[in-house]
Amino acid sequence: MNSNPIVKGKLVCVALNDAEQLASMQAEFSEAPYQSAPTQPVLYFKPHNTWNVDGAVIDWPVDEAAMVVGASLAVVIGQECCRVSVEEALTYVNGYTLLHDFSLPEQSYYRPDIKGKCLDGSAPLGSAVIAADQVTDLAGLTVITQVNGETVSEMPMTQLERNVPELISTISRIMTLQAGDVIAVGFRGERTSVQKGDRVTSAIAGVAELNNQLAD
Amino acid sequence: MKHARVFHNGVELDITVDDANRLLLADGTELNEAEVSWLSPVKNPGTIFALGLNYADHASELAFAPPTEPLVFLKGANTLTGHKQPSYRPDDIEFQHYECELVAVIGKEGKNISREDAMDYIAGYTVCNDFAIRDYLENYYRPNLRVKSRDSLCPIGPWLIDKDDVGDISDLKLTTHVNGELTQEGTTADMIFDVPFLVEYLSKIMTLQPGDMIATGTPKGLKDMQPGDVVVCEIEKVGALETRIVSEQQFYGDKY
Repeated sequence: MNSNPIVKGKLVCVALNDAEQLASMQAEFSEAPYQSAPTQPVLYFKPHNTWNVDGAVIDWPVDEAAMVVGASLAVVIGQECCRVSVEEALTYVNGYTLLHDFSLPEQSYYRPDIKGKCLDGSAPLGSAVIAADQVTDLAGLTVITQVNGETVSEMPMTQLERNVPELISTISRIMTLQAGDVIAVGFRGERTSVQKGDRVTSAIAGVAELNNQLAD
Repeated sequence: MKHARVFHNGVELDITVDDANRLLLADGTELNEAEVSWLSPVKNPGTIFALGLNYADHASELAFAPPTEPLVFLKGANTLTGHKQPSYRPDDIEFQHYECELVAVIGKEGKNISREDAMDYIAGYTVCNDFAIRDYLENYYRPNLRVKSRDSLCPIGPWLIDKDDVGDISDLKLTTHVNGELTQEGTTADMIFDVPFLVEYLSKIMTLQPGDMIATGTPKGLKDMQPGDVVVCEIEKVGALETRIVSEQQFYGDKY
């Protein structure tokens, strides 16, 4: 099984952090099973069997008809980070890379989605961490994803419901983060459907690039 | 054999605990329990699975219908702490309860493991107390990391006991005592999805690896906890796990 040299301990992803998606789901949130919109960041783990690398071919899960992919800026923690303020949060960051989250399509955000999110090798990260001090305008970054060379998604960091420092601060009050923990800060709402054999490429101009292919 | 890990004179040590509850190093040296701090018995924790509503009586206690498929969530390794260590109660909450659970620890890598072969992949068992803060639950939205992945809120231990030393796990008595008073009582016979089923189910989704842990859920008997309380979760033939509840401020000290 592949692993990844960057992520050491925890890989925490933030779902529902696309402000446009949240706005479009407000009516749905008032109905069952939700009853109300979440008041806190919606978090999930990608466990260690999912960690994978740039260039990896992603297995197509047996007996499954459909898969989706989302791409996120991935924040790599550089030192122990416990209950930090929004103002201080970025000083705990070692640097940035990209994450692809390959999943089964999700029907709802109501229950933890082990089946959809824990597929072996389904969380590749970029091969290099760009040092935090090389990125002067974090909020100005945009994650662009292409499938077979065609742009399918653009996620500007200005579209995050909660920005990177807010997320680090909030998460560090739930769980102490350690060097080598990674937070994927947010995906564009509707994930992109992919087919067997597709090439998925994501990039943040000048910062990071990540290439994967679905197995045939 | 009972395998434990302790902190002693500034170093982490792997020890065994014999039937007379003596703490022994590999060379036979005995440690004084008063001089050790117990650590999580699983040295390199992998994926921590936890089951929601896996005892029918607990599901009815919470006014949920029993699940027809396992309700599984993941916990971070930051939650783990050892026997006789503190866990904290967050400030400004109304209801935090213990959950005494049998934990099956995976001993070898496997994918698509059949129910019949499942027990071959279990190294042994331990006890965990999967504390939950009900105030933070949002209709089972995935903010359950806020409920279930908080630092220190999954004490585990005292030791990992070999599978063969426990034998049949289909009817083990579970109890929780708070400050000496019996507050929770049940048996693993009331589990909806048993360990072989869970190994088969999870290994169909993903490859299981040594150090992965499956916390199998808790029976009814929930009660609020307060700082100062001492909680003991015990499972017949496996062990008794003791935890002290402290305030958030006591727990985090300078970082509060």
